[in-house]
Amino acid sequence: MINNPSHPKKGHLKSRDCKFTKAGIEYIDYKQTEILERFVNDQGKILPRRVTGNSARHQRQLSTAVKRARFMALIPYVTENLR
Amino acid sequence: MKKDFYEMTYILNPVLDEEKFSEMVNYVNKLIEDNGGELVEVDEWGVKKLAYDIDKKSTGYYVNLYFNAPAETIAPVERNMRIHDDIMRYLTLKYDAKMKRHYDLRKKGELPALFEDPEGEQESDDDK
Repeated sequence: MINNPSHPKKGHLKSRDCKFTKAGIEYIDYKQTEILERFVNDQGKILPRRVTGNSARHQRQLSTAVKRARFMALIPYVTENLR
Repeated sequence: MKKDFYEMTYILNPVLDEEKFSEMVNYVNKLIEDNGGELVEVDEWGVKKLAYDIDKKSTGYYVNLYFNAPAETIAPVERNMRIHDDIMRYLTLKYDAKMKRHYDLRKKGELPALFEDPEGEQESDDDK
């Protein structure tokens, strides 16, 4: 079937709710690196919305925050073992 | 003149000694005040490890400050900071209403926690 929303392969994608919306967070601060680190993978890449379940607004804020934190050397662009 | 709320974080060369650090912090504070800004809060994080080397240095002295200032203040302050060799990096943000509310909540310690319950923590670990 084409465009079947209940495709079985999508089963592994767990979280579908935005954690920021749920917690009532308005702004994602680049200084809160422990939060940002949960939304990047082992290499330091930003995880997609498809995986995190973030709302579009919060995903945009998150990516800006991650990029600011990287610039200020609070989190790495690329992890040490890959460099 | 209309004043906006700004946040600035900068990294100082870690090779300097304690005395020179406070001298540099005073220099930046004075720079902002001389250009028409009013300091609200200066928070020195101290020497922290950098996530990657900058100018062959693996640590840096972080200073985070908040101030009210008219828009004309920023350009001369940033120009002076760029010229100064001991300032390795800086980032200035102009706060909008949402960011200001977030700042006020953080000051009061009423910021909503994102990952406090162990169940939620488990869930987000799986996402990685």
